[in-house]
Amino acid sequence: MTAANAAPSLARMSRNRSSARPVRAPKARPGSRPSGGQAGRLGWLTPRRTFLAVIALAAAIAGILIGIGVAGSGGGASSASRIEGAQATTALLAGIPQKGNVLGRPDAPATLVEFAEPQCPICRLWATETFPTIVRSYVRPGKLKIVFQGLVFIRPTSDSDNALRAMIAAGRQNRMFNFLDLLYRNQGREGSGWVSDDLLRSIGKAIPGLDVEKMMAGRSSPATSRQIAASANAAAQVMGTQVQTPTFLAGKRGGSLQLVQIQSRDQLYPAGFRALLDRLIAG
Amino acid sequence: MREPQLRAAVGVLALAGAGIAAYLTYTRYSGAPIACATGGCETVQQSRYALIAGIPVAVLGLVGYAALFATALFRGVTAATAGVGLAVVALAVSAYLLVAQLALIHAVCQWCLASDVVVSLIAVAAVWRYLCLAGLRATALRRSS
Repeated sequence: MTAANAAPSLARMSRNRSSARPVRAPKARPGSRPSGGQAGRLGWLTPRRTFLAVIALAAAIAGILIGIGVAGSGGGASSASRIEGAQATTALLAGIPQKGNVLGRPDAPATLVEFAEPQCPICRLWATETFPTIVRSYVRPGKLKIVFQGLVFIRPTSDSDNALRAMIAAGRQNRMFNFLDLLYRNQGREGSGWVSDDLLRSIGKAIPGLDVEKMMAGRSSPATSRQIAASANAAAQVMGTQVQTPTFLAGKRGGSLQLVQIQSRDQLYPAGFRALLDRLIAG
Repeated sequence: MREPQLRAAVGVLALAGAGIAAYLTYTRYSGAPIACATGGCETVQQSRYALIAGIPVAVLGLVGYAALFATALFRGVTAATAGVGLAVVALAVSAYLLVAQLALIHAVCQWCLASDVVVSLIAVAAVWRYLCLAGLRATALRRSS
């Protein structure tokens, strides 16, 4: 039997073989009294009706599930709930020490320095794809600390500058990496003016324990400007005038930091990056 | 194809889907990196769309595939009907998640795509199976009346 001929309606199939004249199937109504025979009892429950009822019920259940999913994802909801990945970021970084621009135990046996630009899409790729793995496999067990050095060079630079200042101000409350992770998860198109005060406040509200107004005020402090300048100097020492992001340095504690030689896109993903990192911090 | 073959197809596909869902559930709770040739798996798995009512979609998928597998263990119209219902729910939720990946998360997870293919095939097999049985029942009813 094939799908094409599998489900003809009862009415179409019911023909009286003893008579040359076609006979209609009994047309029982829902709620009508049983007439005795199986066909009489179940006649109204045609395959077509059952099928449609099941489809309708399934569609209703799917609609409820999707509705819950959309509501849970914050579609059109308050500003803080519009921020992508708030729960995931909080879970990823919960319990890991942060101080300023350093994530992880201060006495960790190895260090990874990241130079990144808030608007850089490749930095976002590393942040969303590989950063969680590095945190879970290296930072949380205390094997590695990460030092973030934020740079501003993608034009127009107002978005990057605004984002980096907020990030550094969040770092003063030891929540820079929460801010950084959420910023990359919610990154907009380069130079589109996506780093609005509203976005920064929304990200701030999605970070447990962060004083958002203090962070917003801290963006314009001289200490914030000094830290941006210090990161730019550090980048110039490593890369000279050819600044590229993301750029990483890694090394063991007490030793010198070496450039993580990323030569292909694959090496920005967890497996490739871990192989490079292990080479520099193993032992 | 006949009903037993379609029932077996639903069972095998449900096992394959359960394998995918089990792997994603494992990576979610163990923190192990996701094997991902396309890139984007981590982004999708950590997005807010990866949760429905606070439950990871991978866990919901695992439960759904287990239920679909259960419908393949039993003969009869009732099991086939339940299979169609579950398949339609799974198909609709998969479509929603695919739209979320493409339009909202801007990242695609290869495991999710594989699951989408499996769910689509299950839906075809489940509906076909139901139609076979419905046709057989109609024939039986006709003969008895």
